[in-house]
Amino acid sequence: MKKWLFWMLTVVMIFSLAACSGGSSSSSGESTSDSGGGSKEEVKLRIAWWGSEPRHDYTLKIIEMYEKENPGVKIQAEYASWDDYWKRLAPQASAQQLPDIIQMDLSYFSQYAENGQLADLTPFVGNQIDTTNFTDNYINGGKIGDKLYGFNLGVNVVGFHYDEALLKKIGVDSLAEDWTWDDYKEIAAKAKDAGLFMDTGMKADVFFNYYLRTQGKSLYSKDGTTLGYEDDQMFIDFFTMTSDLVKDGAAPTPDYLAQLKGLEDDPVVKEKAVGIWQWSNQFVGIQQVANRPLKIHNMPGPNTSDGLYLKPSMFWSVAENSKHKEEAAKFIDFFVNNVEANKLNLGDRGIPGSSVIKDELKPVLTPEQVQVFDSVEWAEQNSSEFDGPDPIGAGQVIELLDSLSEQMNYGQMKPEDAAKQFRQQAESILSQNK
Amino acid sequence: MSARALKQNMKGYAFISPFIIGFLAFTFIPIVASLYFSFTQYNLFASPTWIGLENYKKMFTEDPRYWQSLKVTLIYVFAGVPLRLGFALFIAMVLNTASRAVGLYRTLFYLPSLIGGSVAVAIMWRNIFGDEGIINLLLAFFSIPDVRWFGDPTAALWMLIFLSVWQFGSSMLIFLAGLKGIPMTYYEAASVDGANFWQKFTKITLPMLSPVILFNTIMQTIAAFMTFVPAFIISKGTGGPLDGTLLYSLYLFIQGFEFFNMGYASAMAWIMLIIVGILTAIIFATSKFWVHYESEGGK
Amino acid sequence: MQTNTEINTASKRFEMPNVKKPKWWIYHILVGGFAVLMLYPVIWLLMSSFKPSDTIFVTAQSLIPDPFILSNFAQGWEGIGGNSFGVFIKNTVVLVIITMIGQVISSAVIAFGFARLSFFGKSFWFALMMVTLMLPYEVVMIPQYIIFSKLGWLDSIKPIAVPAYFGHPFFIFLLVQFIRTIPRELDEAATIDGCGTFKIFYKIILPLIRPALATVSIFSFYWTWDNLLGPVLYLNSPDKYTVSMALNMFLSNETVSNWGAMFAMSIVTLIPVFVIFFLFQRHVVEGISTSGLKG
Repeated sequence: MKKWLFWMLTVVMIFSLAACSGGSSSSSGESTSDSGGGSKEEVKLRIAWWGSEPRHDYTLKIIEMYEKENPGVKIQAEYASWDDYWKRLAPQASAQQLPDIIQMDLSYFSQYAENGQLADLTPFVGNQIDTTNFTDNYINGGKIGDKLYGFNLGVNVVGFHYDEALLKKIGVDSLAEDWTWDDYKEIAAKAKDAGLFMDTGMKADVFFNYYLRTQGKSLYSKDGTTLGYEDDQMFIDFFTMTSDLVKDGAAPTPDYLAQLKGLEDDPVVKEKAVGIWQWSNQFVGIQQVANRPLKIHNMPGPNTSDGLYLKPSMFWSVAENSKHKEEAAKFIDFFVNNVEANKLNLGDRGIPGSSVIKDELKPVLTPEQVQVFDSVEWAEQNSSEFDGPDPIGAGQVIELLDSLSEQMNYGQMKPEDAAKQFRQQAESILSQNK
Repeated sequence: MSARALKQNMKGYAFISPFIIGFLAFTFIPIVASLYFSFTQYNLFASPTWIGLENYKKMFTEDPRYWQSLKVTLIYVFAGVPLRLGFALFIAMVLNTASRAVGLYRTLFYLPSLIGGSVAVAIMWRNIFGDEGIINLLLAFFSIPDVRWFGDPTAALWMLIFLSVWQFGSSMLIFLAGLKGIPMTYYEAASVDGANFWQKFTKITLPMLSPVILFNTIMQTIAAFMTFVPAFIISKGTGGPLDGTLLYSLYLFIQGFEFFNMGYASAMAWIMLIIVGILTAIIFATSKFWVHYESEGGK
Repeated sequence: MQTNTEINTASKRFEMPNVKKPKWWIYHILVGGFAVLMLYPVIWLLMSSFKPSDTIFVTAQSLIPDPFILSNFAQGWEGIGGNSFGVFIKNTVVLVIITMIGQVISSAVIAFGFARLSFFGKSFWFALMMVTLMLPYEVVMIPQYIIFSKLGWLDSIKPIAVPAYFGHPFFIFLLVQFIRTIPRELDEAATIDGCGTFKIFYKIILPLIRPALATVSIFSFYWTWDNLLGPVLYLNSPDKYTVSMALNMFLSNETVSNWGAMFAMSIVTLIPVFVIFFLFQRHVVEGISTSGLKG
């Protein structure tokens, strides 16, 4: 009997605990729906983003800053890791429960925007959001059609990040600014002869797209209903190059890459590869882990500036179901224009677009961050227009391309066959956008 | 209906009423909704549009990845479940002795299950099966050539199967509970009659344990079919290499939440339900022949 | 007729019948050795938590941390975004206890209904219950989310905790199987003695399925402890996050993950589960004496 008594008491106690915490939580969860009519006009905003610890910490500080300057506004932060973030966002969208301010990524941007989940920010541009220090090009990164669905938080550019010392070790003095793919192949062969990898391969969709752009084409057509190139020879040329490198041993095989657990394992860090093809905002990370000087170099040509583009790293979007769109826009304005806020940010979300911010930040940056800033500034002068966010269905196309690339790198498929298969399947995926 | 029968029915329903209420409140509508979705094109945001059997047709005739995921999952189930249960039963019996250390051993063997499907597990597992990991070292010790666990689709699937077998602790626990329920008197009586170990095992242990074996078989089969987390974190959400670890649930997730083809994913889910349902029904049907319930009279 | 002591001995000690008792040390070497082998991954995890993050994978082959540091634990405990890890653990404990109690009690009640009582439509409801097990969660997730959103239960543990009080098919099925191993004569004897149905459930069946109840408790505990998808979906505010979500936040797919802290906290959060298991498994193992009641 005593045991049951014990259990009963526990149950009662736990229930009351839960009722207390449950009660308070459900009331705070009611943020956007009914806070507008309060007597004090307190506005509650919900904001969500993905990231890891440093980002959470400084973003929370920025929010605190904003709340201090805007006493009538309370912002509830909801942050999580990348996987968890997207898993949660989709159901929220279907239940019309999206947070007021949402961090958006290009890979999901079209899905959410074209399905009416994101608000059009055009009315706020020039009003709540001051855009005097931004170029049109920069802002247009968040446009689909003629609606602005997200405000660009920073740009990235692809490049080759490498170890100059290792480069010299394999017998190459330096990389020319106007180097070409042929130069690249030569250097890769030298790397292999010296027992090193040249790099760790190229993410298929990103770099194939770059390659296509240098030829005046692109991966997706403007309206997203077909592929953006007709000549399969381009596919064959590019992927023959990449799979040959794997075959020759100048780049690692897919299963080698699958076992890498993270940056610490990266061949560049371990001095087993000369460099790595990646985005500019990944430079600081790998440099820190490698703990030795690395350099950033631009992509090979010909036609580098046709190929390069400034990719918006991420956006702040406003949910269509938000009841406080104006207030949300004001926060975005604060985030991208306020100098103190950006001094906390330090380009973690990409190189900021505001010229004023860039000038203010340079003095407080570390040398590595300055390298990144400089390379993006160079790219700003040497790039062409961004093609816009990936169309709906891009996720499947990318998976398809990755899979084909994997098979080519395993030597299981010839680029000629892969080219045909890719065209056939990708077009069927994209044709659903018609 | 007689008053007695009515009373009996009411009693029965009273006891299972929590289930019924919970079902109607939280599960019924979602299940019906998911069936509805399976006949639609639904991307989670816009309203679903009815397309009839299109999803099902596409699944069976136009999607090689679907068949691949089915194949991978069937191998996973039919190789993994027997291994897992066999281990679990064996260890449960070994640990069913009266020794003080046994409590500790039980906990140790159960530890892998307790860690669950966290990312830490995936990291550990990937580390062990890496090219320079301990598994290959062990193999080398026995002069077996290295296996490229990450490069070969079949080997990668076996990585997952081993992970499942490694976490046999939960099945083992259930078997232990079952073993403890077998009265010692039966064994003593059998000894008196001159039975040897094997006879005791097959004529006492197995039959007395059969309800639990049935339970474990069904549950593990269902669970194996629905396995998602290990495949997701070990293959980093890709099902690679070359779709070798593309378990059915993982493919379903990718379709539903990465490609936003929720209608298609729902169709996949219902097919899975049918397959598992049929399999379970078969197992249940055969149970008449080999499962023995003490409460319903002996054999 | 068996005396009490005989019954106790009979139920507590089940030894492998008729096998030549092996020397204890052989037993320990084999079983213990196998245990160590099985636990190698866990040991690796433990040792790695004492290594600095950037050396963990580089020195993956060696189990010995060099240098041996404790800072991962301190760092991990600081938590994320101003919430110490203690907050996450507390959240998880509350959720787990509430859920566990609900699941155990409700599943036992429902299982008794299915296993012992006969009523019109029983097979239908049982089959329905099994069917709910076979539908992948991902597809009911969205409609369920909308239901909970309309109830205003978002950003709380209610969507996870409340359904626990309505039974869980896995546990119901398990308990049904166990109850069916108990001879009906016991029920009949009790009825003759004047026990109503509920008393039979409460005084006879429940004690006899103690190992199964302990098993269910253990499962319920650590399944809820490890549950990730539920918290991800329904807990918006980071200060409500559970351990599983918090651990994920040490990872990053854009920069370097904080492996050291993550491993350290994984170990720390493993301890409560370990302890609960250790405490409860005793009940799984202590036998039941069905013959004792016959007297």
